[in-house]
Amino acid sequence: MSDSSFETGASPSEKPAAAESPHADLGDGSAGRGRELRRRRLWGAWHERRLEQTGSDLDPRFTFANERTFLAWNRTALALIAAGLAAAQFLKFNLHGLRLIIAVPLIVLGAVLALASYSHWEDSERAMRLRQPLRYSWMPRVLSGGIVAIALLGGILAIIDRLAH
Amino acid sequence: MNPRGPGASIGDAGTHEPGQNPPTLAPDRTTLAWTRSALNVAGSGILIARAAFMADLDALGVASAIAIAAIALLTWRHGQRIDGDRGLQGSPAHHQPVALRWLTAATLLIGVVAIVVTVAI
Repeated sequence: MSDSSFETGASPSEKPAAAESPHADLGDGSAGRGRELRRRRLWGAWHERRLEQTGSDLDPRFTFANERTFLAWNRTALALIAAGLAAAQFLKFNLHGLRLIIAVPLIVLGAVLALASYSHWEDSERAMRLRQPLRYSWMPRVLSGGIVAIALLGGILAIIDRLAH
Repeated sequence: MNPRGPGASIGDAGTHEPGQNPPTLAPDRTTLAWTRSALNVAGSGILIARAAFMADLDALGVASAIAIAAIALLTWRHGQRIDGDRGLQGSPAHHQPVALRWLTAATLLIGVVAIVVTVAI
């Protein structure tokens, strides 16, 4: 490993690129759409450079591993959304609307995990570049709790549906 | 180009020049992870389009199928670029907030469309 010694003394501070402010090239307001697009592009480039300028370069394997972890969480989120869709299409309850009580929380849980996975990736990347310890993620706990809660809810709803008819 | 460097092989695994990244399979694994993500996006698109057609939302079904197919293609293409642009021996593996942010936004969009379709069924 070329860069594996996590020295506590090295605390490079974050150096935001000040040269290119998102508002640096604002015109007279006539080309609003183009300006907005340009502003977004500048913001994306600035953000990428800002993270890249944080701390020092990593062993590429760490960066790749972090990216794969993000992708795995993102796939989990997509699987939850797909499970919600499948529940909506294939569950047959006598009481109309019961399937929504199972399907919608699955999809919402997937959306929450998708957002959280990006935030977790960014936190981990930053921590590794600054040679700081990685933070524990709350996502596994939320995922497990959510799935258990939705499974219990599904069981209870199935019993209620059976008793009602 | 070989992402592990020109001429790299299993026999080189323990030896590399100082200042260069060691030979690694990480780029290959990451490319495969992007490919799996693309397949997942495509699968979600099929489910959404099917549900939209079931709910008689034909326009939404066609639009979401096309959009999600494009997202899946871009996701796959991005993963393929890893072999070409990133992880080359001696070069840093650039992290890509923009690409990851786009994938997150696409996943959220898929979630929103999924809720709309689910309620409409």
